Amino acid sequence: MRRGLIYGLKKFWSEVFSGDLLILFCSIVLAVTSISSVGFLGDRLKSSMLMQASSMLGADLVLRSTSEIDSEFLSKAETNNLNWAETTTFLSMVITADDNLLTSVKAVTDSYPLRGELKIVNFNGIQIEHSGSPPSGKIWIEKKISESLGLNRSDTLSIGNKNFIVDGIIEDYPDRNSSFVGFYPIAIANIVDVEEMGVIQTGSRVVYRKLFSGTQDNLNRFEDSLEAIPANIRLQKAIEAGDNLGEDIANSTTFFNLASLFTIIISVIAAMMAVRRYANRNLLHTSLMKVFGASKSFILGHQIMQLTLMIVSASIFGLILGYALQHLLLSTLQGIINVNLPPPTFRPVIIGFITAVFVVFATAAPYIKILSETEPIRILRNDFVIKLSSNFIIYLVAFFTMFGFLGVLFQDIKLILYIVMTLICVTSALYLIGKLLIYVLSLIKFSNGTGWKLGLKNIVQRGNDSILQVIIFGLSLLFLVVLAETRTDLVDSWTDTLDEETPNYFLFNIQEYNLKAISDYLEDEANISPDFTPLIRGRLLSARRPGSEGVNFDNLMEREANLTWQYDIPQSNTLADGQWWANADEVAEVSVDREIAVSMNLEIGDELNFSAGGKTFSASVSSFREIEWQSFSPNFFFILSPAAGRDLPNSYITSIKVEDSEKLMNKFITRFPTISAVNLEAIIDQAKSSISSASLAVQYIFLLTLIAGILALIASIYSNRDQRTKETAIMHAIGASRAMIFKSASSEFFILGMLSAITAIIFSTVLSSVIFYQFFDLIYSPNLIILGLSFLLAIGFIFIAGVISIRKSIYASPMITLRDS
Amino acid sequence: MKNLILEVKNITKEVNSPEGPLTIVKDINLTVERGKPISLVGPSGSGKTTLLAIMAGLDLPTFGTVNLLGSEITSLDEDKRAQIRGQDVGFVFQSFHLMPRLTALDNVMLPLEISGDPYSMDKAQEALKKVGLSKRAKHFATQLSGGEKQRVAIARSIVNKPKILFADEPTGNLDKKSSDSISDLLFSLNEIIQTTLVLVTHDLFLAEKCKEVYELSEGQIL
Ligand SMILES: Nc1ncnc2c1ncn2[C@@H]1O[C@H](COP(=O)(O)OP(=O)(O)OP(=O)(O)O)[C@@H](O)[C@H]1O
Ligand SMILES: [Mg+2]
Repeated sequence: MRRGLIYGLKKFWSEVFSGDLLILFCSIVLAVTSISSVGFLGDRLKSSMLMQASSMLGADLVLRSTSEIDSEFLSKAETNNLNWAETTTFLSMVITADDNLLTSVKAVTDSYPLRGELKIVNFNGIQIEHSGSPPSGKIWIEKKISESLGLNRSDTLSIGNKNFIVDGIIEDYPDRNSSFVGFYPIAIANIVDVEEMGVIQTGSRVVYRKLFSGTQDNLNRFEDSLEAIPANIRLQKAIEAGDNLGEDIANSTTFFNLASLFTIIISVIAAMMAVRRYANRNLLHTSLMKVFGASKSFILGHQIMQLTLMIVSASIFGLILGYALQHLLLSTLQGIINVNLPPPTFRPVIIGFITAVFVVFATAAPYIKILSETEPIRILRNDFVIKLSSNFIIYLVAFFTMFGFLGVLFQDIKLILYIVMTLICVTSALYLIGKLLIYVLSLIKFSNGTGWKLGLKNIVQRGNDSILQVIIFGLSLLFLVVLAETRTDLVDSWTDTLDEETPNYFLFNIQEYNLKAISDYLEDEANISPDFTPLIRGRLLSARRPGSEGVNFDNLMEREANLTWQYDIPQSNTLADGQWWANADEVAEVSVDREIAVSMNLEIGDELNFSAGGKTFSASVSSFREIEWQSFSPNFFFILSPAAGRDLPNSYITSIKVEDSEKLMNKFITRFPTISAVNLEAIIDQAKSSISSASLAVQYIFLLTLIAGILALIASIYSNRDQRTKETAIMHAIGASRAMIFKSASSEFFILGMLSAITAIIFSTVLSSVIFYQFFDLIYSPNLIILGLSFLLAIGFIFIAGVISIRKSIYASPMITLRDS
Repeated sequence: MKNLILEVKNITKEVNSPEGPLTIVKDINLTVERGKPISLVGPSGSGKTTLLAIMAGLDLPTFGTVNLLGSEITSLDEDKRAQIRGQDVGFVFQSFHLMPRLTALDNVMLPLEISGDPYSMDKAQEALKKVGLSKRAKHFATQLSGGEKQRVAIARSIVNKPKILFADEPTGNLDKKSSDSISDLLFSLNEIIQTTLVLVTHDLFLAEKCKEVYELSEGQIL
């Protein structure tokens, strides 16, 4: 064995660049590049999501309640090595000598925030250092407060009984969602001053928070030690918030995974063909070595060393490429992710190596066995044909190990099962089709050989070889076509969310008496007929579950709610649960955004109490809605039935799409000065650029699979090139013309390409619809352009590559060819 | 008796063919003495190659024993037989069997690399010199003529200084002129490196040059 290893080491470089091993090498590189780039990327995306989620909470874990939280939690946190901070948030008037403003006051400890950044600037906009909270007696305020109260540096303001000196302007703070956002500006004070303010009394709207951060292990241990948390305390975790990442990113991640899975499978196919040819060509070498005294273990050592070197060098190469590609993808995705990413972990490196080992094992194991057991007598019999049938079991084992490994790697058994099933179906179909082809062709009598008839005859004579080629072509094409379709539809579905009709202006504050004038104006000037949606400013007061009193509707008291009433469910909404109005004009009902409903612990049938326009009223929850927020049309958490909302005082809101917006809107605003118009173009542009960068990233990954596919086709075409070459030479020698040989070869490749392309296209529609439905929530409709184009390109490629592969032997003198072989 | 380097006793080889069991060689007995080349002649299909393979330990007989260089190879396993081949046996084939992508020198080195000989390069060059091809050492196998290829193959077969050299129709693929020079070379080797030639051929003229000629017909020695 040792000698074999040394021999393998010596011969490695000269053999790698000899052709067959080069294809194997490239297959491994592609598989590793693909899995590691997606791995590196996914890894960093995941950490970045977590970071984003943590900074949204200002911590990794938060306990939150509307009543004071026991401080035993803090000591528990300390025993578990966690950092902690506290915040107390409440609404209060901020008072200056001649004005006041309702403000969300956030009183914090020095350690706040644990995650994310609290950015404080001075009045000149220059960032200032701080230690997490202002010192006692000082306060930081948002610009809105300083502007509306006319405050300057070192001015004083008072909250309750306590005076504060303004010490800085809050430019950014992490836990935005935790304040009474959107309604009130915020001020940050030191938590030690809360007592003195004296504004918190029973019935005040206060939210208490305990923030924790630390390693995941410590966090878990801490959570375990909490046992039962009182019902009024809610636990929020960054890890869970992180799961809730943007759908675009989630979908592109799914696509990346799918693409890298396909790349690996196709690479394995390519590797299989390469190894087959390598083994066939090496049979002479190994039998010779056997004759000259090499033992079984010598051959084994030789092969193992070569493959090991191959794995190591191809993995390193693939990892470098993978890291570079990941870098490219990230810089493409920068607009979407928009945070400083943590460095990648070591995981993708290990996964890359393991992938390489599996690719090689799954493809080379049977041949290593065959080669090491070669009988030296083959040399004397000139018998250098490998029969795989007796090693079928090894192939089966390798195949299932491979998919087991992929299942573990992608942690998606469902996907792997679908793929395995498809593989089995398609392979059997291709096998049967190949058999049928050969049978049909063999029935035809080829009397006098014109070129193309000779080609058909060759297909028959090659028998199983032809079938194998049809299978390999078909499978590689199948995965390519499915991925091409997925890619196109995914990108289309993204672009569709922002079509030509996407509104670019929001108009607010429209009063009843303005409606007609605005309608007419927009109709005349821009040919737009806007839909006006009623907007009711209201507040959610309480909730009640008929029949079971005392249910804790946490989170409820904070809801300042914009309401509307509608007869029909808006276009950008879908019903997630319950029923749309049973009797719109008679029954007071409300439909709630599903996410809000979940966060408030609501169920269908609960009674909600609102106040609006000085009236209080109640409505029963009749449905939950899923809202497509990207639609840029007015969307509401709460929609009232006409019976509940019709008589409430309201203004109107509308969204419109205006061409040549600036000119028209300037005129519009002078014409209707009381109406606020919000330009959405900047946001739309941002969304568009996110979409185009996500699309570009998807293209890069697809490109990798495409290369693997081409490699597999080439490997398959080359797998019996030697035999073709020899045949060509013999035909030359017995007097066939070049034109005839050319016709023969091209008709052969044409038929093989056509058959495999047809089968691949048919099955791709099946696999695509499963994948679309199961993994992207998209409805699949065959993309005829892609399918047609793939069909033509596939046939063209196989045909051209096939002819190229034997062009040398067609045009070279038969003497040279015979001598070479 | 000391000079006996090959002793074949009652060799019979049967194989399974589509038409049932087939006896390819039957009840062969022969001996080879050191320094006394022998030849096997006979019509095509008479079993010459089969017998050669068994004598050289490349294949096992169905019945009978072969004693090669003092070892009863018919009772050894494949790896042990390989070891004996590597040390003391040389082979030359009708269709040369050079590795096309290796140079002449690399081809000649092959047997020594398997045994891990540290001087493989020097020894290979020396062997090439003996067959008169030192100038072609860096040529690839595909760049050589048939006669040259066979010379390289001969160099390869003698590079381990074998005690016995099996050659299966070494001139079968060559024209008259190359054929003559190859056979001269083979017989001269018998003296130069003290190896004993076991030659399979259907060239009677060549066969006559051997001390002993066995004629096979339908698997039996006449
Ligand atoms: N493994 C096998 N299975 C079936 N038949 C075999 C096998 N090996 C050899 N034969 C048959 O045995 C007979 C002898 O073969 P062998 O190769 O020994 O002949 P040969 O004398 O070397 O012929 P040639 O001069 O043409 O090389 C042939 O008819 C051959 O077809
Ligand atoms: Mg023979």
